[in-house]
Amino acid sequence: MSRYLLRRLMQSGPLLVLISVAVFVLINIVPGGPTAAYENNPRLTSQDLARIEHELGLDQPIHVRYLHWLGALLRGDWGYSLVSRRPVLTEIGERLPNTIYLLGVTFLVTMALAIPAGMLSAVRQYSLFDHATTTLAFMGQSVPIFWFGLVLIIVFHVTLRNPLTGTPLLPGGGMYTLGAPFSVGDRIVHLLLPVAMLTLATAAQYVRYMRASMLEVIHEDYIRTARAKGAADRRVIWTHAFKNAALPLVTIVALDLPTLFSGALFTETIFSWPGMGRLFFDSALRFDYALLMGIIIVNAALIIFSNLAADLVYGALDPRIRYV
Amino acid sequence: MRDLRGPGTVWLVALAIIAAAFPAASQQVPHRGGAVTIALYQEPELLNPYLATQTASSEVIILTVEGLVAVNDKGEYYPQLAAELPTGANGGVSPDGKTITYRLRPGLTWADGRPLTCDDVKFTWEAIVTPKSGAVATSGFDQIQAVDCPTPQTAVVRYKDYYAPFLSRFRWILPRHATGDPVGMTRWEYNRKPLGSGPFKIAEWASADHITLVRNEHYRVKEQPYLDRVIIRIVPSREVGKQLLRTGDVDIVWDLVESDVPELRGVSGVRISSPPGPDAERLVLNLADPALDGPPAEAVKQHPHPVLGDPRVREAIELGINKREITSKLLYGLATIGTNELHIGWARCATPPSSYNPAKARRLLEEAGWVSGSDGVRVAKGARYAKDGARLRLKIQTTTGNKLREQAEQLLIEYMRAIGIEFYIENVPSPVLFGSWSSGAFRKHGRFDVLMYTTNPDVDPHSQVEGYFASWNMPTADNGGTGYNYARYQNPQFDADIKRAGSVPDLTARRVAYCDAMKQLVQDRPHIYLYDRARLHAYRDRLAGWAGTPWENMAWNAQGWWVGR
Repeated sequence: MSRYLLRRLMQSGPLLVLISVAVFVLINIVPGGPTAAYENNPRLTSQDLARIEHELGLDQPIHVRYLHWLGALLRGDWGYSLVSRRPVLTEIGERLPNTIYLLGVTFLVTMALAIPAGMLSAVRQYSLFDHATTTLAFMGQSVPIFWFGLVLIIVFHVTLRNPLTGTPLLPGGGMYTLGAPFSVGDRIVHLLLPVAMLTLATAAQYVRYMRASMLEVIHEDYIRTARAKGAADRRVIWTHAFKNAALPLVTIVALDLPTLFSGALFTETIFSWPGMGRLFFDSALRFDYALLMGIIIVNAALIIFSNLAADLVYGALDPRIRYV
Repeated sequence: MRDLRGPGTVWLVALAIIAAAFPAASQQVPHRGGAVTIALYQEPELLNPYLATQTASSEVIILTVEGLVAVNDKGEYYPQLAAELPTGANGGVSPDGKTITYRLRPGLTWADGRPLTCDDVKFTWEAIVTPKSGAVATSGFDQIQAVDCPTPQTAVVRYKDYYAPFLSRFRWILPRHATGDPVGMTRWEYNRKPLGSGPFKIAEWASADHITLVRNEHYRVKEQPYLDRVIIRIVPSREVGKQLLRTGDVDIVWDLVESDVPELRGVSGVRISSPPGPDAERLVLNLADPALDGPPAEAVKQHPHPVLGDPRVREAIELGINKREITSKLLYGLATIGTNELHIGWARCATPPSSYNPAKARRLLEEAGWVSGSDGVRVAKGARYAKDGARLRLKIQTTTGNKLREQAEQLLIEYMRAIGIEFYIENVPSPVLFGSWSSGAFRKHGRFDVLMYTTNPDVDPHSQVEGYFASWNMPTADNGGTGYNYARYQNPQFDADIKRAGSVPDLTARRVAYCDAMKQLVQDRPHIYLYDRARLHAYRDRLAGWAGTPWENMAWNAQGWWVGR
């Protein structure tokens, strides 16, 4: 087991380097660059532009720039954003808590909804509840998520009004009311719509997985055996069936965890949420190479390690699987 | 009830009307207090005026940082921290124009109460010209030999040579005591929280969410600013900003486009600010053979563009475009018809707009040796630079993802088809179009026929007019791609006019020289000006004191803003 872990970890290093090379080359061969935005500024002469490119090191060949970046990273220096001129880690550090906050809450809500719904739907197959759940889940997967977000805003922010004050029923964006003192209630109210939007899509997916895998399990012989020996329904479902049915879900959840870092671009854009998705998107539009590389490398590392974690957890949960 | 019909009732009613009118009347007087929220759909990169490049940044900077001289809504200079504009008459400009003396207003202070003196002016210059400071725009400042401070209230700026746009320098003054070593300018704390002398000061900046500014208690006008706070709300898109304006969550939405206006016009409580601006959407015509790589002036003479090298074809293109239809159909009448580079500002030169005359355009093309082909597209037969049998076909390029430009292209294609020219579209993302020489951008290297985009002269138009049209400003390998004469235009008369405009200190003499230059441009058509855009913002009517300007950022007079009770 530990040898397996060691081998996987040792593979991750070169893999990360390969990813970073590929990404570095890709974002640098895209035409344009950080100074493209300056080109139409009448205040800047071409000499100014050439000087800025030189100061940012953009006039050096690509391999020199890559090695420079990698060397600095290995010394723990993530570099400075080419746009805000602040350390890359400061930029990420300011946005990451907001994203973890939004997606963490979404994750908990999704799990609390999807697991019981999927199980119940499988146990009572073809019941009214099952039909309703599968239809909803199907809709959730088919509806474009940004459209659903806009509908939520129109209904709860534009159309519906608070009968007492006449103000919009729910806020249409932001993490809190600007200028108001901190209050838990205000935070929760601001979470409702974006979490609803995100939950619809992810919960739909999880419900379908949960239901499918539960259906498979409850027709296994050992479930029949358990029932035959007279075990209570609740015990059969939770102890025998759920533990086995949850296995595939563990993998899916583990693979989804990196989104806690990468953020949710659509939701953040629609609900003005200052998270990682927008940071990444904005830095791509602004050709902020240093910040882009930072975000992509952290993301790649998280994906590699969450894959590893999924494999390890799976092995721990399923005694039939052994790694050597 | 009957009693009420007496003459006394009339007086009572009149009194009631007067009384009801009083609160409204008192609202006409500015009063202190309240806050205004501005929606910006771009987050400022940082707030150091000499490092920032995006308009969103200067929209915030202008609330807190001031300069010696600023520009009002008519495009005229006015003294901000200086007591008066330096001129030859008041001794502010030396006879040779090289020495400028600014007298500062008495008793100036920074927002922290420390005195603002000539030493800060000197520091501003030092910081910008320090090598490796990272300052973005150094032009003009690198022409300065020294800044002397004979008294704390007098700044003497000595230029090496006469520098025409001297009034536009020192637009922002940096505090020596609240910044740092110029070598590390990009790492200054100041960049996130600049200290200025303007009406507001930065209190808080929450990334991608908001920036809060509060009243500068040391502002030099005692009763101003009226507002307690200005909140910059960073929103992900214009759409979100417009929505927040409708619901009253924000008071100002920054930087709209023409197509945003119709939906906001009918909304009660919303006003549109649309002062005409210097931005001119134009066609840039390549006068050189696009097969050449960044040809210098002599090579352009020998190898003109096979189609566009002939001035008659350029004239035909302009006469074939119905500019009035473009502005009314696509821009909702919010733009004016384009004429020349200097249609607005102190150096304004009024030239009549081109007429729409497809018949004359066809005649010109016939004359130029382009005869009707079998499929309606003309072919060369005795054309000046094209081989016989060549089709009259031109590539038009602009930025992708811009609906207005795509629609304008469709109209242009129709107009051109009507006179026998085939335009075909090959749009590219804006970083590609506006890329640098070293990145191989085709605009810099001269590998195009027709480009369409917007650019504008600054308050002092010299760098724009010289940069885009002087023959020595063609980007070539020899000059490392500097200059932006992408049309590769050359005209000795124009060159002489522009040299004259850049060498006299007197604004009137400069204006005459620029206008002479403009007449050359209008005749030669290196650019065809389609329309001039207005600066569009929307605000709620509870905000009073707003004065739209195309020359500065929208909050240029925020010290005079106030809100109704």
